[in-house]
Amino acid sequence: MAEARITYPPPRTAWDRYNPIRLIGEVSETRYWMYLLLLPSALLICAVVIYPTLYGMQMSFREMRLNRPDLGTDWVGLKHYARMLADPIFWVSLRNTAVWVTSAIALEFLIGLVAALALNRNLPGSKVLAVLILLPYFLPNVVAGHMWALMLDPRLGVINDVLVHLGWLAGYKAWFADPSTAMAAAIVVEAWHSFPFFTLLILAGLKGIPIDLYKAADIDGAGPFAQLRLITLPMLRTVIAAAVILRVIGLVNSPDLLLILTSGGPGRSTQVLSLYAFQTAYKDFNFGYAGALSVVMFILLMGFAWAYVRLSKVNED
Amino acid sequence: MAQTRSRSRLLWDIVSYVVLIGLAIACIGPIVWTFLTSLKYEADIVTKTMHYIPPRITFDNYVKLWNQSGYPVLVINSLIVTSVTVLICLLTGTIAAYAFSRFQFRGRTQLMLGYLVVRMFPAVLMIIPLFIVMRQVGLLDSTFGLAVAYTSFLLPLFVWMLKGFFDAAPKELESAARIDGTTRIGAMFMVVIPIARNGLLATCVFVAIAAWNEFLFALMLTTSQGSRTWPVGLQLMVGEFQLPWGMLAAGGMISILPVIVLFAIVQRAMVAGLTAGAVKG
Repeated sequence: MAEARITYPPPRTAWDRYNPIRLIGEVSETRYWMYLLLLPSALLICAVVIYPTLYGMQMSFREMRLNRPDLGTDWVGLKHYARMLADPIFWVSLRNTAVWVTSAIALEFLIGLVAALALNRNLPGSKVLAVLILLPYFLPNVVAGHMWALMLDPRLGVINDVLVHLGWLAGYKAWFADPSTAMAAAIVVEAWHSFPFFTLLILAGLKGIPIDLYKAADIDGAGPFAQLRLITLPMLRTVIAAAVILRVIGLVNSPDLLLILTSGGPGRSTQVLSLYAFQTAYKDFNFGYAGALSVVMFILLMGFAWAYVRLSKVNED
Repeated sequence: MAQTRSRSRLLWDIVSYVVLIGLAIACIGPIVWTFLTSLKYEADIVTKTMHYIPPRITFDNYVKLWNQSGYPVLVINSLIVTSVTVLICLLTGTIAAYAFSRFQFRGRTQLMLGYLVVRMFPAVLMIIPLFIVMRQVGLLDSTFGLAVAYTSFLLPLFVWMLKGFFDAAPKELESAARIDGTTRIGAMFMVVIPIARNGLLATCVFVAIAAWNEFLFALMLTTSQGSRTWPVGLQLMVGEFQLPWGMLAAGGMISILPVIVLFAIVQRAMVAGLTAGAVKG
């Protein structure tokens, strides 16, 4: 953008020299103006994100137990990381995290894609339907969790009742109390809550695909499924990659929904890494070990993001 | 040929409607069921044969929740935290988004990437040190402290979303104002921000909804009734009152009402803003 240089007439009155509006206007013409604009937010992010994160990382190399002040806060090197390797709960949590994240994302992507394709046909009434379909994403975890806990309740759950009436279920089932169904039930709740995120992004991506591509495919005689596979999905690659990465970050980092629905139970069947780190910090008050668990989680997440971007070849575009 | 194509189009239209209506029912169903439950007497909730439609309607659950469980205080605390969060984002984030949108400078790409990467930091890793630091400076268990903690994940989001709206605002008017002798800051406040006001509103609403809904930070960084927000209060109610489903449902309905209203008002601009960044990559 061509910047017009503006020169000011010299101050005419004494007041002009101290007029704050004028002074700030002059500052805004200097070369450092954009850095000044960025300063407040950058400082704030340093204070509430960067500093705590670094603090948390160094904590993972220390003994730090709130309920055992007698142990002090000495450096313990890699003790927490060594303990992790031998901790069966860590490995169970890691496996559960993989199941939780991949199943939830696969489900969310699938439903999100179907919804976006249907909405993109711009049928009459689809604007209203879109609002209804996107709504769950904006609801709080706490309410989403309790709504589904109510519907899946072993005594008064409406889903149990419907399934029994349909003959798909012999009797009411305690979905969250049975280790074999707890994770699946939680994944359904999570998918219900977050699939609209995929719908949103994919819908936006679909608007960007030139319609000529489909016209040409029609002439070539390609059916709808061939068009989906050969045009739509390849054109959406960047959007899908962005959506998957953002959702993976969200799912790996936040234990909210599982904390509300199951607290990791029954047994350890829904224990994921973020939840384990959270409970290590706030139930056992072992901040050092919780820090180490979070650091490992963060490294795995970065590794995933890097590998995923490489593999999905987003950079090639 | 043309006939088969129009027939297949009709078929796919029908399939689309079936999918969309089915999904809409699945999305709204839990909300409707919670609403119906909130209108039932406790005796009609726990029954042998399920009542899909409440046989008798009562607003007892709402009255009890409002008068007995300290819910008004929780809602007021949440309102304060949400407003302060939005205010901090507005004050610091608007100018940052403007800088990213309008200026080319050294370190721009890296800084923008930095604002994105901070979202990857695990919440648990941040909450523990925030807890320790806030206890030291006396911000633990305060609405202001919680709002500051919320900016850790909401400010980067705010900046990215608003940058998309600023990018979409035409640059010509700004240039014209500059040529007329307006300073850069004058052009920002008097030209660019007014043009992008719908986007600014949508961004604020999005951040407000996220702050209003937040659970994990609130659970860890507040310890007393004085600063506790409604999601934490609602969750603690589950333990305190032996799952009073009617009251829980009423609490849920009261709490999501502002979200639904705000979403309905600004959803189109918000959807555009959320997706603008993603499409451009």
